[in-house]
Amino acid sequence: MARRSRVAVLLAAVLLFTGPARAADPLVVSVWGGNWKDTIEKVVAKPFTAKTGIPVEFEVGGTLDRLAKARVAKAAPLVDITFTTSHVGRLYMSDGLFQKLDMAKLPNANELAREAMRSDSHVGVWAYVYTIAYRPDQVKMNITKWADLWDPQLKGKVGMPDFDPSHIITISALLEGGDERTWQKGQERLKRLKPNVAAFFSTDARSQDLMKTGEAPVQVMLSINAFHLIEQGLPVKVVNPADKPGVVGIDTMAIMAGTKKSDAAHQFIDLALSREIQEQLVATFKAGPTNLKAVVPAKLRGQPGVFGTPAEWKERGYIMDDETRATSLPAWKEWFNASIVAK
Amino acid sequence: MILLLPAVGVMVLLAIALAALLQFSVLEFIPGSLRTGGLTTRNLEAVLKPQYLRYIWDTVVLSALTTVLTLVASYPVAYALARSRSAKLRSLLLVLTLAPFFTGAIVRTYAWMLVLGTTFIPWPVKLLFEPAGVLIGLVHFSMPTMILILAAAISHIDRTYEHAAASLGARPWRVFRRVTLPLSMPGVASGSLVVFAWTFSAFPTPELLGGGRVKMIANVVKDLALDAFNWPGSAAFAAVALAVTFLLLAVVTRALARAGGAAA
Repeated sequence: MARRSRVAVLLAAVLLFTGPARAADPLVVSVWGGNWKDTIEKVVAKPFTAKTGIPVEFEVGGTLDRLAKARVAKAAPLVDITFTTSHVGRLYMSDGLFQKLDMAKLPNANELAREAMRSDSHVGVWAYVYTIAYRPDQVKMNITKWADLWDPQLKGKVGMPDFDPSHIITISALLEGGDERTWQKGQERLKRLKPNVAAFFSTDARSQDLMKTGEAPVQVMLSINAFHLIEQGLPVKVVNPADKPGVVGIDTMAIMAGTKKSDAAHQFIDLALSREIQEQLVATFKAGPTNLKAVVPAKLRGQPGVFGTPAEWKERGYIMDDETRATSLPAWKEWFNASIVAK
Repeated sequence: MILLLPAVGVMVLLAIALAALLQFSVLEFIPGSLRTGGLTTRNLEAVLKPQYLRYIWDTVVLSALTTVLTLVASYPVAYALARSRSAKLRSLLLVLTLAPFFTGAIVRTYAWMLVLGTTFIPWPVKLLFEPAGVLIGLVHFSMPTMILILAAAISHIDRTYEHAAASLGARPWRVFRRVTLPLSMPGVASGSLVVFAWTFSAFPTPELLGGGRVKMIANVVKDLALDAFNWPGSAAFAAVALAVTFLLLAVVTRALARAGGAAA
């Protein structure tokens, strides 16, 4: 009897540690931490698990930490799906880290804005813009266009990202009749902005801190962050610049090459692109949907970074070429550090 | 001999990591790609440009200033910690010295951002996002270690030398200058070396208090690797900085040993 019960215990243990775990092999999603992960977990992962029975686990980290990790784990990917920015997606692709998407398995992709299809390996899930945000309680002038950043009244008040100066470099070039490919056209203009710069920031969190403390009350800022500050009660105005549009950023999803859960990963991505899920993502992030059928809440309509029609995608945002951005960023950064950041 | 095995293991691991760094530094960087090309000296040539040499120079200057200011600010505290007759004062100083160790570097630096910024205190000169602000943060960060090293050195001084000097008519200041200070030089040397070396590799303090305007070596390594995706360039800059660090440490160690020897 005792022997039988020992066998039963052993069998139960084997079942406990092997059987159910196999049945519930999780889909691993790599994403940014904090609110990003929480929202994706709540809005996408939970319905996905409810629909498919496949649990979802997350690996969180910064854009480039996760890229570095993915590279060293290339032979045996630790994650199945990666959320990243569209131009960093190009870097993943350059090293063969993404697999090609099977569009037949992504029927919801048919409803996407053309701009959301960043490549055959990564697809846009939401959009935003880098635009001007400022605190009217600390800045006396009314800022309405990019050119206002150069106004002497803003001396020592402007903050901008130094980890990725693409946006302000492109805007300077656009104001001088160029674009990101002919960025040198904006160099002299950008140099003239130096007296107005209070600080550079290297993370979104630092950007928000600088706005909150008033150390940099005018910023070239991610629209999502600006909306987040407004929601927290901070008096922040987000500008729809009149001279040139905001610079669009598109966050994307991709499936890692070598994953054994490609089918589940396609299902996850397709769900994230569906109209219902997109509407929830938009409402939570205050970002623009990539699915053109998604209904945008009335108070967000027309806001910077929120595009509802193909025409709005075209007219209200400037989309940099991902390839140019990925290949030029090292040179931009070196020039920016030497000519703008250095005193 | 067997007791040395863990140390040898760690050294081997470090040597492998260093070899990987050096290998990366001579591989060609392909913009817009994570792949690297063939062997090249271009990365090393690129980081020897004035722009990058300036970051190394700025780091040397900030590290040297931090060392000197930390020493000056820490010595009186260490002296009181080692010599005060009041046990309560010694306990209080010890608690105050150790307290920063229990808060992370990031927390302390964020606190300094509030203090040095103009939100709460209208400073007459700009401190935040300026070298002065970074210097203040670095000195504060280094003081606890310097105080403990100095206090240990001072407490090991045989007080009969000081009593002998006093009994021969030397006034307290002269006793300090001619006896205590020279005998505490080994502590001054070790404390300075430790502070100089770790300030040289400082990252969060210049990153946060420098506001992108004040960059030290570690910040530039991160810029190149994680912002510009230029891993070979980053490795090359790190290798050059490492060579400079070894060189400077050798110079500083020699100078301090000479100063300590002369004082003794």
